[in-house]
Amino acid sequence: MRKRYTGTTLVTEFIMLAFCIVFMVPIYYLFVSTFKTRQEIIEAPLALPGSLNLVNYMRALETMDFFRHFFNSLLITSLSVLLIVVMGSMAAYTIARRPNRLTRFLRSYFLIGFMVPLQTTMLPLFLIMKHLGLINTYQGLIFLHSNGAVFALFLYTGFIRAMPRDLEEAAFVDGAGVFRTFWRIVFPLLRPVTATLVIFNTIWIWNDFLLSYLFLSSNDKSTLIMQVYNGVGLYFTDWSIMMPVLVLAVTPMIIFYLFMQRHIVAGLTTGSLRG
Amino acid sequence: MPNKTLAQSFRNELPWLLLVAPAFLIYTVLTIIPLFHTFFYSFTNFNGLVPNPDFVGLDNYLRVFSTRAVSTSFSNSIVYAIAVPLIITLLAIPLSLLLDSQMRTRNLQRAIFFFPSVISALFLGYIWNFVLSPSSQGLVNSLLLSFGQRKLLLLADPKAAMVLLILVTVWTSTGWHACIYLANLQVIDQALFEAADIDGAGALQKFRYITFPNLAPAMTISVLFLLLNSLKVFDLPFSLTEGGPGYATTMVTQSIITEGVNSNRIGFASAMSMMFLALIALVTFFQVGVMSKREEKLA
Repeated sequence: MRKRYTGTTLVTEFIMLAFCIVFMVPIYYLFVSTFKTRQEIIEAPLALPGSLNLVNYMRALETMDFFRHFFNSLLITSLSVLLIVVMGSMAAYTIARRPNRLTRFLRSYFLIGFMVPLQTTMLPLFLIMKHLGLINTYQGLIFLHSNGAVFALFLYTGFIRAMPRDLEEAAFVDGAGVFRTFWRIVFPLLRPVTATLVIFNTIWIWNDFLLSYLFLSSNDKSTLIMQVYNGVGLYFTDWSIMMPVLVLAVTPMIIFYLFMQRHIVAGLTTGSLRG
Repeated sequence: MPNKTLAQSFRNELPWLLLVAPAFLIYTVLTIIPLFHTFFYSFTNFNGLVPNPDFVGLDNYLRVFSTRAVSTSFSNSIVYAIAVPLIITLLAIPLSLLLDSQMRTRNLQRAIFFFPSVISALFLGYIWNFVLSPSSQGLVNSLLLSFGQRKLLLLADPKAAMVLLILVTVWTSTGWHACIYLANLQVIDQALFEAADIDGAGALQKFRYITFPNLAPAMTISVLFLLLNSLKVFDLPFSLTEGGPGYATTMVTQSIITEGVNSNRIGFASAMSMMFLALIALVTFFQVGVMSKREEKLA
């Protein structure tokens, strides 16, 4: 029995839409301001701009060296997500399909990681990374992000446990090894979880600030987010530069979101309610 | 199996172990080893420079309570981690019900409310800074001025700053949590509602006796994320208020970074982070305990 569209629904719809408009005011304000002069921003903050003035954007693109930092973020995010998916799914396969004393221990061992916040480990981590010569390098930050495999591992484990074993057993009977079976048969079946993990980890890693702040603040290798932070002292006095800088920096994630939006609610189901 | 030798069983297990090895190694180096280091440093006066620090017993831990700025940051974090989960949960559940209704624009609305979750928290702080800035340039103040009112201190007011920080957090995260509830709403057995309709139950009764108890799984996840994320929050207060004015919005996480990274008091900062870990562990055990009881009732 489906609920119907009634008069109440119509009223609710209008109230909610009004609320959505209020909700988006800060974002709207940010966007319209980028086309205005400093004077216009102060005098008529919410008005539409008089003309589509792109001068602010040109200045922002130049000052922040957008494309360089965009590619830094892209490189760091994609490699980290790849490592998370590969390491997390492989480890999950053993933990889900080899129930013995060792894997039970490993499960609890990995579970500790859920509770330990980065703030508890970051000081020694900084010294360790320094010792390994990984401060201010791409590899270093990717290595740190790849620790997200622990979270992936638990999502994958729950999913693999619920999967029938027939196909894998047939492969073993045919003489396929563990690796072959995993990559050829199991991994492709994990696609829903992989999709969820790719979406959410991309958002988290792209938007990460704390790890980059501590481990990769060097100007030429820094991510887009870090680059904005590095420039804040410079730009913040002049909002007509700071605002387009922010708009440029959020655009990649907005585009990513528009493409992935359909999968997000579905992802939350696989992600949080199954694992 | 008596005729299976140890070598053979090792050969069988080896590929399985190799599958776990990379995750195991990375996790051990990046979480477990540093955790032991932090524990060890917390009893020393280590500053990162002198290789052999002195053992100072519980001094660092005691200093956490007596250092004003630091104990303030603990109480700020606790206030924040109570207010944020409470307000967001109270808003996210009704919001998810609305977003689950038959509205024509519901997909658009879902997209709008989820939208802040894809933007870096650092930037959300900056964006709200434009709105709530105490200068006459800020959106709220320039609107007040244009209506002939006096401008407000907003983020520069120590009492208002925490409230505003909490409200901004509610704005950023309610949509995400509403989506967790929404995902749960979509798997509740519709037959339960049909049965309730036959029994003549009203909308409120249906919510009280069917919807709400069946949202228990989503609630476990959502509240746990809310508690942990609000205790661990760093980016948003850092960019919105930088912890100020004074120490009004300084969170434990920022305090650990100031002490440990910027002032090199690693021993002291380690003691803070161990206490922070204890707080998080306590909250997790308590929360998971209470919530899974609710879920068991459901089953």
